[in-house]
Amino acid sequence: MVNFLIRRLFYMLVTLFFVSIIGFALIELPPGSYLDSELQRLRQLGGNLSQSQIRSLEIRYGVNDPTYLKYWKWVSGAVRGDFGESFEYKKPVGELIWGRLLFSVTLAFSSLIFAWLVSIPLGVYAATHRYTIPDYLITAMQFIGVAVPQFLLALVLMVFATTVLKQEVGGLVSQRFVNAPMSWEKFWDFVSHLWIPIIVISAGSTAWLTRVMRANLLDVLNMQYIQTARAKGLKEGVVIWKHAVRNAIHPLVMAIGGVLPALISGEVIASIVLNLPTTGPLLVQALIKQDMYLAITMVMFLSIMLIVGNLIADLLLAWVDPRVRLE
Amino acid sequence: MSVAQQPSSSAIPTSAPESAAPEEDIVLEVQDLHVYFYTQIGVVRALNGVSFKIPRGKVLGIVGESGCGKSQTSLATMQLIPRPGKVESGKILFREFNNQEPIDLLTLERNSDEMRNIRGDNISMIFQEPMTSLNPCYTVGDQIKEAIILHQGVDKEEAHTRAVDILRKVGMPNPERIAISYPHQLSGGMRQRAMIAMALSCTPTLLIADEPTTALDVTTEAQILELMRDLQREIGMSIMFITHNLGVVAQMCDEVAVMYLGRIVEWASVDDIFYNPKHPYTILLLRSIPRLGSEEHIRLESIKGSVPDPYTRVPGCPFHPRCPSFMPGLCDVEEPPETTVDGNARHTVRCHLYT
Ligand SMILES: Nc1ncnc2c1ncn2[C@@H]1O[C@H](COP(=O)(O)OP(=O)(O)O)[C@@H](O)[C@H]1O
Ligand SMILES: [Mg+2]
Repeated sequence: MVNFLIRRLFYMLVTLFFVSIIGFALIELPPGSYLDSELQRLRQLGGNLSQSQIRSLEIRYGVNDPTYLKYWKWVSGAVRGDFGESFEYKKPVGELIWGRLLFSVTLAFSSLIFAWLVSIPLGVYAATHRYTIPDYLITAMQFIGVAVPQFLLALVLMVFATTVLKQEVGGLVSQRFVNAPMSWEKFWDFVSHLWIPIIVISAGSTAWLTRVMRANLLDVLNMQYIQTARAKGLKEGVVIWKHAVRNAIHPLVMAIGGVLPALISGEVIASIVLNLPTTGPLLVQALIKQDMYLAITMVMFLSIMLIVGNLIADLLLAWVDPRVRLE
Repeated sequence: MSVAQQPSSSAIPTSAPESAAPEEDIVLEVQDLHVYFYTQIGVVRALNGVSFKIPRGKVLGIVGESGCGKSQTSLATMQLIPRPGKVESGKILFREFNNQEPIDLLTLERNSDEMRNIRGDNISMIFQEPMTSLNPCYTVGDQIKEAIILHQGVDKEEAHTRAVDILRKVGMPNPERIAISYPHQLSGGMRQRAMIAMALSCTPTLLIADEPTTALDVTTEAQILELMRDLQREIGMSIMFITHNLGVVAQMCDEVAVMYLGRIVEWASVDDIFYNPKHPYTILLLRSIPRLGSEEHIRLESIKGSVPDPYTRVPGCPFHPRCPSFMPGLCDVEEPPETTVDGNARHTVRCHLYT
């Protein structure tokens, strides 16, 4: 076990090393740099800049340094926890992203847990009541869940929340709490803001996982050991939940590994519509503006989360299924 | 239609004096069992009036080609017929103790407490595929303990001790270790031993073994059969031993029921089946087993034709399309009744040759 963890840790570091190089190269690839857009902005503001001014800016931003030098500057800082400064925000990158990362991860795992809590019981019910009306209803809901675009779902839920529930929507907390110190009230307000993004983000994966759960459970229910469990005299509920579900749940566990990348792509839209401070919109902005230290740092953290997510998934899977343990 | 018990009383007065035990101690008596599958393409009549008895402490072999309904017979006894199958009619009378009023298992609700208390405690079952009949997610010990805790109401430690004991009893080399192993760490033979341990953990009155050695190699098969025979004698339980292999029958069983297309076509003691078979199907089955000592170049006979497709109903005797002694106008019209052979009440056959 310890061996396994050490080996995994080593592989993780190697992976991250390559991700950083490739990520850096890709971000550097487009022509131009942050300075070009900055210069354009300055020109619009106050006429011409002299060559010497441009030079000094170039030196300050280090845009003409060779890529490996920039890379080295960033990496040597990063390992000490200094990720450089965002060109655009003129702030240390670390300061900019911590809050957002934390919020993104919270959102990701809340959405995953929500998806599990909904898809497991629904999938089990659909599989054990195959070809009944509830089964057909669940199937219909799955198609809707997969097909409805996130922004639309977000808008519908926002309208619903404001008109029916009389809730404030958008952002993390209501207006009156924005600058208030942390309190139970504020926390509750935060939670009540969270449900819309959670539903929006997890709708697709919930639908998909329900489908997977149903299909897998149907397979497992045909296995001989289910018959064995019944032949022992166990209650049907025990047969289903103890003997069948545990064998059908692999893909749902593996979903942890996949949830983060899916979120990064999926969450951007929801976050923009709902005005949420997650990593998605920030990363998109950083890439467009070629705010390279911000961009590469975010790419690195997202990769770390992806790798850690996969590690957690593997550990959970080994816990669920002994056959995985010994390989 | 059930003539199952008639011959033993008044019908044949001249019959066998030595089998005149007035009240036989029957553990399981299946009467005129019909099981149908209502599929989308039509009704499959898997069992068409199966009747047989298993005396206490005896092993009844049920033999027949695959698809003849052996597994459905065993599942019906456990009330575990899978959807879309249904028990249409019949009785399955079970007596846990001698002289007890029998319970008709089919009158119990499938998932009722009474039925679940019988399953795994009084009647338990071993399946054909040792590779898949244990749950891969739990240790062998846990799976045995589950039944012990459920039926014997003991605590976990006591259940563990009993589980290890039973594993030792089925000949596991290192029962303590096996108890904490997962199924995938064991070989097929070991898994089948574990299954037997699980089935015997509550000392059942009746053990149903559905082709328990079909998936094993010959050496392992012999060991498992010997083990089952030994444990059967020791515990004194009855066994419904299902197989398609007549060689195994000779080794294991006291009595044999030969099944064809959802009916028992012949029933007799092992000796009578092997030395005095009556039904043409039984005779053909016997000819199809390879024998030691027979000249090598004599080809094994196989039974001509194949089992008709399950959706059609064969009129008359179900075997007539393949029967070498087919009598037109009789066999394809009228279903043969059950008759005793040579006045021996313990040998019955369903064939027009003997009516
Ligand atoms: N799920 C099912 N749907 C339809 N027919 C079935 C099903 N299961 C079994 N049968 C029918 O029941 C008959 C008996 O099957 P079975 O008892 O499994 O035979 P075997 O003697 O090989 O154990 C088969 O001929 C098959 O057509
Ligand atoms: Mg079978």
